[in-house]
Amino acid sequence: MKGLLISDFNIENLASYLKKELNAPAIESVSVCYGQVSQTLLDDAAPIWRERPDFVVAWTRPEGVLQTFGDLLSCSPVSDQDLNREVDSYAAALLRASKRTRAMFVPTWVIPPFHQTQGLLDLAASGGGARALMRINVRLLELLAGAPIIHPLWGDKWIQLGGPAAFNYRLWYLGKIPFSNEVFKAAARDIKAALRGLNGQAKKIVLLDLDDVLWSGIVGDVGWEGLTLGGHDPAGEALVDFQRELKALTRRGILLAIVSKNEESVAMEAIAKHPEMVLKLDDFAGWRINWRDKAENIHALMNELNLGLDSAVFIDDSAVERARVRETLPGLFVPEWPSDKRLYPQALLSLDCFDRPWITEEDRQRSRMSAVDRERKQSKIDLGNLEEWLATLNTGVRVEELNQANLPRAAQLLNKTNQMNLSTRRMSEAEFQAWLREKTRRAWTFRVSDRFGDSGLTGILTIEIDGLRATIIDFVLSCRVMGRKIEEAMLHVGIKWARSAGVQEVYANYHQTGKNKPCYDFFEKSGLACRDGNIFVWDAGQAYPLPPAIHLVHDNGGTLAKKSAEENPSELLASI
Amino acid sequence: MKPTKDELVDIIYKSLEEVNEQLPSDAQLRKSLDTTLFGRPDGLDSLGFVNFVALVEEKCADKYGISFPLVDRSSQENGVLENVGKFADSLLQRLNETAL
Repeated sequence: MKGLLISDFNIENLASYLKKELNAPAIESVSVCYGQVSQTLLDDAAPIWRERPDFVVAWTRPEGVLQTFGDLLSCSPVSDQDLNREVDSYAAALLRASKRTRAMFVPTWVIPPFHQTQGLLDLAASGGGARALMRINVRLLELLAGAPIIHPLWGDKWIQLGGPAAFNYRLWYLGKIPFSNEVFKAAARDIKAALRGLNGQAKKIVLLDLDDVLWSGIVGDVGWEGLTLGGHDPAGEALVDFQRELKALTRRGILLAIVSKNEESVAMEAIAKHPEMVLKLDDFAGWRINWRDKAENIHALMNELNLGLDSAVFIDDSAVERARVRETLPGLFVPEWPSDKRLYPQALLSLDCFDRPWITEEDRQRSRMSAVDRERKQSKIDLGNLEEWLATLNTGVRVEELNQANLPRAAQLLNKTNQMNLSTRRMSEAEFQAWLREKTRRAWTFRVSDRFGDSGLTGILTIEIDGLRATIIDFVLSCRVMGRKIEEAMLHVGIKWARSAGVQEVYANYHQTGKNKPCYDFFEKSGLACRDGNIFVWDAGQAYPLPPAIHLVHDNGGTLAKKSAEENPSELLASI
Repeated sequence: MKPTKDELVDIIYKSLEEVNEQLPSDAQLRKSLDTTLFGRPDGLDSLGFVNFVALVEEKCADKYGISFPLVDRSSQENGVLENVGKFADSLLQRLNETAL
């Protein structure tokens, strides 16, 4: 990825760490330093913007970009209005520059301790430097809040991680570098984690061992009554906190699962009966509790959950198990794990692999949805015949055109779905919106529910018409609902609209990635004719049938693109 | 505590290790007395050298409680930056002078 670092100080050390840090993505960046901040942000035609950067970091010192703040630190009188005006101008420049990139990171402003030496006056309503710092940070955050491209980052955190020497006066006077390298390392880690999140590479599931991970002790030996968890015990309390942090991850849409060598009934009893267990059975999307090889169990579990190995983190206290899994399943993230249980919460929080740009209602509900999915799969096992089983689900698919309300979730789905994804296009909300402005393009979202519960917005279909040919551009479906005839229902909707627009053929061009083979497999069996290996075609002279198990409903909510009435497909959707 | 050359070489090596964290693998500096310190292609570029000097100064201040600029305009002319060994000799001399 190409990054552009804009700063009023020497930011080359950040560039070095972004390049050198081993974790993906690989980054090459160029820097704009010192007195070039405003010019660079405001000048659309500046040479530095010729090659559109994938991301921008705009990291400044408040006294470097706000003259009034510098005056305030020098104990000169300044008015709130003047300070606000400068913050507003700076925010406007950031907003303007954000249109030239896919993501912009703006660390919050910090000031070194030597600017906070006025004692009682640091927080004074008039002239208090620390108070003004808080105020300008909040003002800047509020001004940037509506811009989906801009992602503020918490500079204070990096300073705390940098320790007492975070502000480095030697580096400042030698090279106009204000911070120690620990600060730049922390920033590089966070920026990379954010980029992974934006690119849909954040981890989606944590696979957990049980004994000496969720509790202390071997449950098969001591029974659930003999486990150390909670109570007046340092390790026990830390393990409860560790479970609380895991529970918090589920509220951010991260799934939990168990992979443990134990008797399943004994482990289940401990989870159900131990009074200090924060995590309940419903918090786990699945489990493999038996005496088989853990790598084999992980492989099977991830297949069951329709998740790729690279979306998982495996936490185990045993170095041997970690090594075995790391060696056998190289795509899986297996962090080193401390032997001291009091360090577990901190070890989890420092993983830097769960960052996501948004948390949607679907994310918050994902854990519950997964528990429901487990019941659904159990029901599938009981019924045997797929068609019969699907008919019992009472599956409803709600079709909506892309609109302001569903755009954030649709963009999230577009950017993180790997398996059922025809073209694997990655676009920000703004880019998605801009793409749809062409009148020949349409986008729908699909919400799926059944008798077990609501899976939320899980599908996206976009189509572009060119003369007598319609082309499906995006065909995206969450792995949570794959294989339940939603795919066919999506094709039914898209092809019906294309037919009504008078096209003769509907194309779907499969773009192979390392992960979207399930999409190819679907199209191969979809009934569309395969041409040249990766091109699938439907003769629009015929309707594409809606699977009998699917009940389609439509929503005529507002659309993003302004289209003429005759082009509005709501009438068509009403008849679908 | 009177500094020794071995201690200073150790400080220099530890500083080089930290600077190497930022450098691509083909530009890493070896821990050796004859390693060129400053100037490409074998030594550090100006940014790397700034980082290196700040680290050595910081470690000397922590260990000996003495803080002063290790490099001045004459350093390059005097050949002090030619290699690790000469830099350590110069450092030892300046620390001893300051301690006196």
